[in-house]
Amino acid sequence: MGEWSSARVWRSRVYRYRLIAGRCRSCGRAHYPPANACPYCGSRDLDEVELPRVGRLISYSVVYATPFEDRDRSPVVIGLIDLGIARLVAEVVDVKPGDLRVGDRVEAVFRRIAVDGNTGLIVYGIKFRPVRVG
Amino acid sequence: MVYVTGVGLVNVDRHYDKSTRRLAFEASTAALESSMAEGVDFIIVASSISYLHEPQLDLASYIASSMGLRGVRSITVECGEASGLAAVMTAKALIDSGQASRVLVVGVDKLSEYPSWRVYKNLSLLYDTESDAFYSIGLGGIAGLLMRLYMNVYNVDRLTLAYWPALMHQNAKANPYAMLRFAITPEKVLEAQPVAEPLTLLDTFPLGDGAAALVLEGKASRGVLAEIVDVESATGYQSIALSDDPLKIESLEVAYGRLVERTGMGSVDVVELHDSFTITGILILETLRFTERGKAAEAVAQGVFSVGGEGPVVNPSGGLKARGHPIGATGVYQVAEVALQLAGEFPGLKVDGARSGLVVSINAMGSSSYVAYMRAVG
Repeated sequence: MGEWSSARVWRSRVYRYRLIAGRCRSCGRAHYPPANACPYCGSRDLDEVELPRVGRLISYSVVYATPFEDRDRSPVVIGLIDLGIARLVAEVVDVKPGDLRVGDRVEAVFRRIAVDGNTGLIVYGIKFRPVRVG
Repeated sequence: MVYVTGVGLVNVDRHYDKSTRRLAFEASTAALESSMAEGVDFIIVASSISYLHEPQLDLASYIASSMGLRGVRSITVECGEASGLAAVMTAKALIDSGQASRVLVVGVDKLSEYPSWRVYKNLSLLYDTESDAFYSIGLGGIAGLLMRLYMNVYNVDRLTLAYWPALMHQNAKANPYAMLRFAITPEKVLEAQPVAEPLTLLDTFPLGDGAAALVLEGKASRGVLAEIVDVESATGYQSIALSDDPLKIESLEVAYGRLVERTGMGSVDVVELHDSFTITGILILETLRFTERGKAAEAVAQGVFSVGGEGPVVNPSGGLKARGHPIGATGVYQVAEVALQLAGEFPGLKVDGARSGLVVSINAMGSSSYVAYMRAVG
């Protein structure tokens, strides 16, 4: 992401912290993050739905060419995650890239996303980690 | 109906000694000289990442002034990686409407201004900052996960996919405007440093600076290189996560369908398409139905899209992979290259007897797609 502003972070707190998706009253489909209109049918008749916190990893990439502020935690794993009623792209943490497999069950965790060095702003949001077995 | 009467290209490279304006000036001067045009009604500047790398708002008017074109009408077009072809579409609309008779389109961007870590951050803004690019996707995170998905869904191995960059490097060898003019083997692609696994550095475009310009006119006069029959476009999903079928570029399918419907175009002889990553090139070939789904990488390896192959010749310039990809300028390079091919004047790998061409330019993984159908004249 580019520059962060405190107003922008504050505006998005609800869906960033709680996985709130938009749901279309017209076609019934959900989308994350919530948009102004349904990305599928264009209807503006929307309500909200909280997404399940456990899903399945459809695919992932291990990113080495990361922005400079993330160099110290490179590589970053980016996953495409299926939560049943919606999919999303998010970072996958707490795993060695070599241990990850497509189809793994992953769960949402609340994590730090970024720290803006100039303003001291700390951005939080949801990442995913593999579900521990046993 | 719009005709390309002049083209100007700057070789894609690390031009530390040249500003955005200087690169735009050099390409524009070459285009105006090659068209023998006396004056233009409009200058349309296609530029995207220059806003972050050499920041300047209202870029087109400053470029116009710096070229001594005070008084000309100017517009800046920013559509991410598709800016260049979007600018051509805008120019065509102005000419078709009668508001302009001669338009200079110049695309320019610089990627060598900062260390690559900073450039990767800025390039991630081509993706949706409210969804995918909220996270640290860097240069190729989304392309990398689509490549893994493709390999799993279609059971295609990594080596087969490496024939794409190898072909692009082979094609670029003869192109004097290409940044990477050396051959590589598919095996070398797998050995290169990882960028966004399973993508390696050799699956991506080099970070270079460039500018390309076109003179477009509504009337065929002397020195016409080619005709732009039509340009079409469509927007798509903001994230691949919203698509039920992320291995198809929906915005491209819609834009191409519109282009076919409006022009009645059939097969083409030469294509310049947007291979920002190996997987992008492969997904575009399949979305255009040049091969069955899951078969494009194999077709590339078999030479279907090489000179002398059964398919259209794809990216004889070397594509984004090897010619280079100065973001907002790339679509202008592509139109210039196809125009030169159709005129029999391309200075690199020639497609002999080419009569028709297709240009494909998209942003990110298809937030928007632009396509142009071009024909030889005479």
